[in-house]
Amino acid sequence: MGLTQALCILFGALALASALAVVATRHVIHSALWFITHLLCLACIYGLLNAPLLAVLQVMVYSGAVMVLFLFAIMILDASVLPALPRGQGSLQALGGVLAALCLLAPGLAWLRLEGRGLGQPWPAASAEGSTAAVARVLFGSYLYPFELVSVLLLVALIGVMVLASRKLESTEGRP
Amino acid sequence: MSLGFVLLLSLLIFCIGVAGVIIRRDPIVLFICIEMMFNAANLAFVGIARATGLVEAQAIAFLVIAVAAAEVAVGLAIIIAIFRSQHDADVDHVSSLKG
Repeated sequence: MGLTQALCILFGALALASALAVVATRHVIHSALWFITHLLCLACIYGLLNAPLLAVLQVMVYSGAVMVLFLFAIMILDASVLPALPRGQGSLQALGGVLAALCLLAPGLAWLRLEGRGLGQPWPAASAEGSTAAVARVLFGSYLYPFELVSVLLLVALIGVMVLASRKLESTEGRP
Repeated sequence: MSLGFVLLLSLLIFCIGVAGVIIRRDPIVLFICIEMMFNAANLAFVGIARATGLVEAQAIAFLVIAVAAAEVAVGLAIIIAIFRSQHDADVDHVSSLKG
């Protein structure tokens, strides 16, 4: 239990630091690489929270497929054209962003402090077999309809991306 | 370990994502920050599943990952299409839908 807690705090701190690095670094590729670190830390936390299925999916889908897509888009877009933080009004804009985040953070902290008295208690012991079987039972039982809807959504996204790409090709052919 | 710790971590990550969306003007980094907010919500779901024993929360997190993957594919395709037609990737300059 002590080891789990220490690892959770370690990966939580790493996730926070890499999230800050994503926002703070100027270069797009550095942001993407820090985001991969962030995702892997979250996967470790999922594993520590007795969610092995989500930990594996986080590594495969997020830090695998999604980030490859991001890096591919950065490569196509030619990262030197992408805008960095604005030079002149950068500090003002950053101040606005930090203030907006604080406006969200304050009520959340207040809620955790006021309403969350029961949240500080340690939770029950994890089941020995893990939760993958239970998640599968729920996902293919009462959540079967949303699950199938998500598969339709993925199909629609696939077709939409192909339409976007092919329409682009037509218009570039029409351009002199 | 407690649920409060996980919810606090999730809250902090979500706020960093919001700050990133406001600060950065680069569409790719905007998308990365939106993904960060998705992940903060997922972390809260997983923590609640662990603390209360409701595995439905993990099922919802699974569905969120699938929806986020679809969103990324469409969003990046739109960004690349805009960049190809306008040769400008600054979100402040793409304002042709403004009334």
